Amino acid sequence: MGSWMKMIKELTIRPKGERKIRKSPSYSFDEDLNKPLSGETVKEILSKSSDVVFREFLLQGKERIPCMLVVVDGLVDKNLLDQFVLKPLMVDLVGHPELAQVTLANVIDKTMESLIPGIEVKKISKMGDAVDSILSGDSVIFFGSLTEAIVVGARGWANRGVNEPIAESVVKGPHEGFAETLRVNTSLLRRKIKHPSLRIISLKLGDMSNTDLVVTYIEKIASPDIVSEVLLRLSKIKMDSVIDVGYIEEMIEDNPYSPFPQVAYTERPDVLAGKLLEGKVGIMLDGTPITLVVPAILTQFLSVNEDYYQRAMTAILSRFVRYVGSFVAVVAPSVYIAVTTFHQEIIPTDLLMSISAGRQGVPFPALLEALTMTVVLEILQEAGLRLPKPIGQTIGIVGALIIGDAAVNAGLVSPLMVIIIGLTAVASYAIPYYDLSLAVRMMRFPLMILAGILGFFGVAMGLYAIAIHLLSLRSFGVPYTSPVAPLRIRAFLQDTFVRAPWWALKRRPQLMDVEEPRTNGKG
Amino acid sequence: MNTKLKRSYKIAPVLLCISLLFISGCWGKREVENLAPLIGIGFDLGEKPGTYLVTQQYARPKKGGSSGAEILQRTLGAEASSVREAFETVSKGAYRTPFMGSLKVIVIGEDFAKAGGFNDVLDFAQRFAEFRRSMYLVLARGRAEDILNLKLRSEHLSAIYINYIIEGGNELSTFPTVRLGHYLTVLGRQSTAPILPVVKSIKPGEGINYKAEKSGEAEELQIQGAGVLRGDRLVDFLNDDETKGYMWLENEVFNRFINTVDLEETTVKFSGQVLKSKTKYKLHTNNESKELYYQIKTSIAIDEIIGLNKQLSGTEWVKLAKEAEESFAKVIEKECEGAIKKQRELGQDFLGIGRHIEQRDPQYWKTIKDQWEEEIANFPVSLDVKVTVHHTGMSSSSATNSGGEGQD
Amino acid sequence: MERISSHQFTLLGSAVLMGTTFLPIASMVTGVAGRDSWLSVLPGFALGIPYGLMVLALMEQYPQKNLLQITEILWGKWISKIIGILYVLIMIYFGGLLLGQLGDMYESSIMPRTPIEMFYLGGLLLVLYLVKSGIEVFARFSEVLFPLIVFALVLNIGLSIPRVEQGELMPLLSQGMIPIFWGGTKIGPFVMEYILFLAGVLPFLSTNKGELLHLKRGLWKTIFLVGILNTLVVLIQISVFGPSETVNLVYGLLVLGKMVEVSKTIAGVESLFLGVWFAALVIKISAFFFAVIWGLKSIFNAKGFMCNLVVGIIFMGIALKFQKGPALKIEIGFVDNYLIFPFASVWVLTLWGMSYWKKKAGVS
Repeated sequence: MGSWMKMIKELTIRPKGERKIRKSPSYSFDEDLNKPLSGETVKEILSKSSDVVFREFLLQGKERIPCMLVVVDGLVDKNLLDQFVLKPLMVDLVGHPELAQVTLANVIDKTMESLIPGIEVKKISKMGDAVDSILSGDSVIFFGSLTEAIVVGARGWANRGVNEPIAESVVKGPHEGFAETLRVNTSLLRRKIKHPSLRIISLKLGDMSNTDLVVTYIEKIASPDIVSEVLLRLSKIKMDSVIDVGYIEEMIEDNPYSPFPQVAYTERPDVLAGKLLEGKVGIMLDGTPITLVVPAILTQFLSVNEDYYQRAMTAILSRFVRYVGSFVAVVAPSVYIAVTTFHQEIIPTDLLMSISAGRQGVPFPALLEALTMTVVLEILQEAGLRLPKPIGQTIGIVGALIIGDAAVNAGLVSPLMVIIIGLTAVASYAIPYYDLSLAVRMMRFPLMILAGILGFFGVAMGLYAIAIHLLSLRSFGVPYTSPVAPLRIRAFLQDTFVRAPWWALKRRPQLMDVEEPRTNGKG
Repeated sequence: MNTKLKRSYKIAPVLLCISLLFISGCWGKREVENLAPLIGIGFDLGEKPGTYLVTQQYARPKKGGSSGAEILQRTLGAEASSVREAFETVSKGAYRTPFMGSLKVIVIGEDFAKAGGFNDVLDFAQRFAEFRRSMYLVLARGRAEDILNLKLRSEHLSAIYINYIIEGGNELSTFPTVRLGHYLTVLGRQSTAPILPVVKSIKPGEGINYKAEKSGEAEELQIQGAGVLRGDRLVDFLNDDETKGYMWLENEVFNRFINTVDLEETTVKFSGQVLKSKTKYKLHTNNESKELYYQIKTSIAIDEIIGLNKQLSGTEWVKLAKEAEESFAKVIEKECEGAIKKQRELGQDFLGIGRHIEQRDPQYWKTIKDQWEEEIANFPVSLDVKVTVHHTGMSSSSATNSGGEGQD
Repeated sequence: MERISSHQFTLLGSAVLMGTTFLPIASMVTGVAGRDSWLSVLPGFALGIPYGLMVLALMEQYPQKNLLQITEILWGKWISKIIGILYVLIMIYFGGLLLGQLGDMYESSIMPRTPIEMFYLGGLLLVLYLVKSGIEVFARFSEVLFPLIVFALVLNIGLSIPRVEQGELMPLLSQGMIPIFWGGTKIGPFVMEYILFLAGVLPFLSTNKGELLHLKRGLWKTIFLVGILNTLVVLIQISVFGPSETVNLVYGLLVLGKMVEVSKTIAGVESLFLGVWFAALVIKISAFFFAVIWGLKSIFNAKGFMCNLVVGIIFMGIALKFQKGPALKIEIGFVDNYLIFPFASVWVLTLWGMSYWKKKAGVS
């Protein structure tokens, strides 16, 4: 085997067992974190950051105790601190009998018991905890040279608030979406499912970023196998930082080389709640409104929550449109190529004439024409995506209308090709999940090339290869094509290509081999 | 070793797929604009014995104005002893590849049909994968070449025009529709003689009047009548009435215009259209001799009444409708009898009577199968025509003179 | 251990039994039985029921074993080795011929100018991918695609109805029952191909008490589904082409596809249908491939990628040897009638008889 083979192997083959992980470099303050807790050391560690505020003051108790409040500017609610921490300690309680008993020995207990009003108050004694708390937005009060400190929860920072998610808008249904703050998100979820069996398990990920993460599921509905698999996979992740759930998604998916998304995501609490009630597991990360939902199956990417809010009849129609759209988006250009270059006999004569007339003088073969146009389409999509809204529209108009029209008039492409490409683009917007539509866009190119080489035989070959790939995928142990193959007849008939009315949906969809009754309807 | 192999196993299909790309991909690839869609093909006798003249009519699509394509014609002929050879000859002078998938019509010239041997020609059409069996076969009065080269006033290609006429044929039901597949199936029956519709060019005044752009030249087409074949040789033509009779007996009448103008015994003439029709046949046995019995049931709407010059009352209308039914039945009978007579004259079973006997009584058929050609001439056939007048149109009276009878 | 549910067993079995029988069947059967041939299709397929039940009965008695392993238990090592080698040779040879049929089908009726090797290669790649993915994925693949194949078939039949010629089916039974019987014998080999695949797939079936009933029911469903579909195929071809043309046409159903016209919009959809039927052939070839792999595993304990590759190359070699359409057709007929049919019918019958006798002897 040549050396290039080796290279490809190194690039493509994942070693068995644990994944390759980046070793986190050792930071100089690792040692500092092991030191005993004291205000001085904390100041030493954090004083190089200008956003950290050290407010020193004196507590007028039995003894005069020098105190220091450490907070990160911008992460705390200053009003709250002023009103309920600094003001009582420094002004209101001066001369109060409770305060008068305070000595350095009992200052921490006394303060927690009776001096500071507020819900989130706790005692810490480790350096690491102190630094973590401060950096997470809590306020820490040090007393003299004591090796313990008090954490006061008074977080408050600029927040985006609960808005309607742009990427997942609905016509009929709740309009709230997750925000970037984890607690806000869990509260939104809790408001949807007010039941003690809703579990919210906290983890922390990322050596540097120390990001909070929550695994949520409903006990007794979610399969324990899946929950423990999720927790296992999460616990194996060793990363510097976790900025977005995308990091986690790549680390926990079953088949990293598949273009198809194997983890679903949502920005909507109602969707998450619905999925949890079907027995799935949610993964929420602090700092991002996107929540992951596992396990995912293919058909799930073609259904949206609105299907469940609309009446069943209309929901069936819109699902049908989505399936047709995604099929068209995959095959339209390749079928065009196959038909015009190999299987002209399939075209009725009248149409053959007009296609033929349209292509007179077009300098490219159909394959090249289609490939170029698809690439242009991709460029337009990519260009329009990140532009500010008003300019984005201009790009659309300039690209689609002006370039397309000019190209046809100049005889560079045939009018039918423009129609096909337009159709493909529109059809791919019918796919509700962005990740799936990306996968579909990727599928299109090999199919087009196969169509250009072998006609329908090539297209069929490509489609079957994709089918075999999909059929062999699993997401957290659940076959990716689940209700269709292996066939789960109830889920297939009730909630795959059509959605049965709610009164008929008596059982939760089978993910593994368990089937739980839903308590609704007549059932 | 094993794990290594397993790994290469994973990439092997990917690499193979990639390598597919680099093998030049041009097999059988034809860009649609480089094709010359063959619309019609005609066969005539060639000048040299053993050859025939193959006339090929191609459509040449041209970018039209704002909408669609303009179709120009390009008709070329070549003499050859096989169809492929003729295509080769023509292709030398045409830069586009002939595309057979769009072939609509095969026109067989009269001389060529009489000389026989066109099953050899058709073999190409049924064997080569591009052809479809749904194309139409027609016989030409005169030369097929002339038919295909006709400059029609409607500016259609004549092959396309023939195709249109045949596809609209259900509305007329006056000539048989024969697709290649049907023709081959009929050949397979062996006892039945195939029949093909006949197309002819019409000069002004030959049935249809029009103003030709070049005087003396035919500029219109018509399909009327049929030709009966024996094996692959044209035996005789059927005239219009005999063909209509054939259509009745074969249960192929869907929609038709019919009139009783030629009936001598009635004074009031009717014309109307057949709304639906059903022909059944039975094999009757009368003391050891067999007889084929046709029963035609049809429903006709009266469109026109001629020769009626008085206002009729309600009961008289009913009577008139009865009269109309009888007249129509007579016309239909006459047409059918014409066809049966022709069949006996020719000794060719184009009506498929033998096949009908086989369907009804296979045992009896076995006994007469071998001398069927002699039997045709005197095998008894009987007819029963039942006509119902479905309605008499929008009016319950006729336009009559103001001073006529029946006026108060 | 991978497992196949009874539903998957039904659909996989149907897909394997059906294969592409619908393409040559009309011409084959009508050649023998004439106008009434369509009557002989279902009885012909019904032969599969006793044989299938025998195989399932053997499975019940020796769970988790394929038929070769059962042979070893009953007849000893050497006889089973001989039978195993015979099994593998037949399967490998016929699998290769089927690959050849794939090429011939596309080459002769749709894409005459593409090198035939490309079709072999394309089909073989898919087969290898399926084999690599395992029997579970294979079962799912047929679970998804078999309904599509049936749909295409029914569509083709339905769209051909306007082309039906009057009275081609009449007269019924003019030649008596004898030709129908001979027509039925033409079907026998198709059934035996399926039985041979069944012999290998046994260890993947569940042997629970309730499951066995489902499997038996699945067998009945398989036979009747395929039998009825094929009957319809023969029926429509005879009524459109007439018996003599039906015999003449190599792939009659494709010609039927060429004659389809849906108003002026769609004309001739045979290439679309052929795309779907390509899957049918891939499933059938994969079934033979799997059978070869299982056979090799139980005789020589050979497995792994190398083994697959070698078998694939042999398939390709056999296909390349029979590139000419008529020769291929004759060879397939020969293997069907004189190898597969006698081998499978004798092997399964004696094996079952032996075990039945043993069981009875053991009890009394």
